[in-house]
Amino acid sequence: MELNLDYLIKTFFLAITGIPTTLEITIVALLVATPISFFMAIYKIYNVKIIKQIITAYVSVIRGTPIVLQILIVYSLLPSLFNMAVKSMGWNWDVFSMNPIIYAYIVFSLNTIAGLSEVFRSALLTVNTGQLEAAHAIGMTTVQAYTRIVIPQALVVAMPNICNLTVNLIKGTSLAFMMTVKEITSIAKIEASFGYNYIESYIDIFLIYIIVCSITQLLFSLVEKHFRSYKSITKAS
Amino acid sequence: MLEINNIHKAFHKNEVLKGVSIKVNKGDVVVILGPSGSGKTTLLRCINFLERADRGEIIFDNLRVDINTASSQDISRIRKRTAFVFQNYNLFNNKTALENVTEGLIVARKVPKFEAIEIAKRALNKVGMSDRIDYYPSKLSGGQQQRVSIARAIAVNPDVVLFDEPTSALDPELIGEVLGIMKQLASEGTAMVVVTHEMSFAQDVANHIVFMDDGVIVEEGHPKDVFSKPREERTKRFLSRILPYSDYDI
Repeated sequence: MELNLDYLIKTFFLAITGIPTTLEITIVALLVATPISFFMAIYKIYNVKIIKQIITAYVSVIRGTPIVLQILIVYSLLPSLFNMAVKSMGWNWDVFSMNPIIYAYIVFSLNTIAGLSEVFRSALLTVNTGQLEAAHAIGMTTVQAYTRIVIPQALVVAMPNICNLTVNLIKGTSLAFMMTVKEITSIAKIEASFGYNYIESYIDIFLIYIIVCSITQLLFSLVEKHFRSYKSITKAS
Repeated sequence: MLEINNIHKAFHKNEVLKGVSIKVNKGDVVVILGPSGSGKTTLLRCINFLERADRGEIIFDNLRVDINTASSQDISRIRKRTAFVFQNYNLFNNKTALENVTEGLIVARKVPKFEAIEIAKRALNKVGMSDRIDYYPSKLSGGQQQRVSIARAIAVNPDVVLFDEPTSALDPELIGEVLGIMKQLASEGTAMVVVTHEMSFAQDVANHIVFMDDGVIVEEGHPKDVFSKPREERTKRFLSRILPYSDYDI
């Protein structure tokens, strides 16, 4: 077996152009999921009836099915559903010409919501309720107590799990090629199919994900260090 | 100044407070005694709505609040006139000692930051924590944390400070430093309601003792009277268990 080095290098730089798309899906999913999963965590902690059961059911459905299956379902079901809706509203808009990245946003957001809500819930529970009571006792509102006292501490606890989830999300977006989204994996695979250079393409993909995920982990550890400052003895020393 | 009338509170079907009333005047040190499970802590928590009583009334000078109809403004008004010191200190772990004290001033009372820092430094100085203002709670001993939490309570200049077993979580050798500060506050005229098992504090500092058992006030009065000649059987039994060297006729 011989590696085509020229092809390998050329494709590496070509596949790199897929990084923005990969990051776009990741960031959109995180941005959509963060507020929703935060409130889901709060509803679950405060034991809001019915809503809590709906959330629990949602989380177990998402976590209990392979993401490949979710992609297949969303990608084969949603376009025709959208089309029906658009037709019934009488709009003149071609659903099937829509950028498929929209479906990637949807699948990965739904997934991230489920994962992140559990991360937030467990992190919020680590901050003892006494601090919330103390904040109430000195006249702070619940919102003030959460934004200034509870959430900053919960975030420190959640950071390693959020990092984990983000890295998994980045890797998971490689499945977006199934929805014809042009991200790292699909670009390299399409390139390989011309000259049957699959091994070279896979090596490229391999390297790119390692680089992207390592940088992500590094960034998270810096953020975590920053948040963790209150575990030191004094401020800024 | 502060009057609590006929407080009832039940958890599920277990009635913890069965109509309790107490009165606190300016400068009073009211100590609530009683066996565990008698409802002392619940009563204290009901005063500033950490626990919402089922029925009763709280009167603060001319602010009269019926617990059943209390609005969130009423609750916030009462909370701004009281301060609470917890058994487990409950300091904000992500804030330094100084920030723990300024937080309530800046966020809840909208005191300008520089002024809040001045007030906080004075409060921390009073509890002898001036040299630790930049420390985070995790690096302070229990006694030091409790002193910071007392500073946090007095900094907001409350009409009455509520102490919920402030020394119960402390190592024996650290109890003294906290009680010392409480004594000092009492001598300066800070009104307080204290739930404690420290009998020496009750005897020396309190000017009113409330003995509770089973959700009701069994006996109350000046410490001299309650400690030297308790009238009620239950008080005698409790005191003879807590103060083994005393002899009461039971």
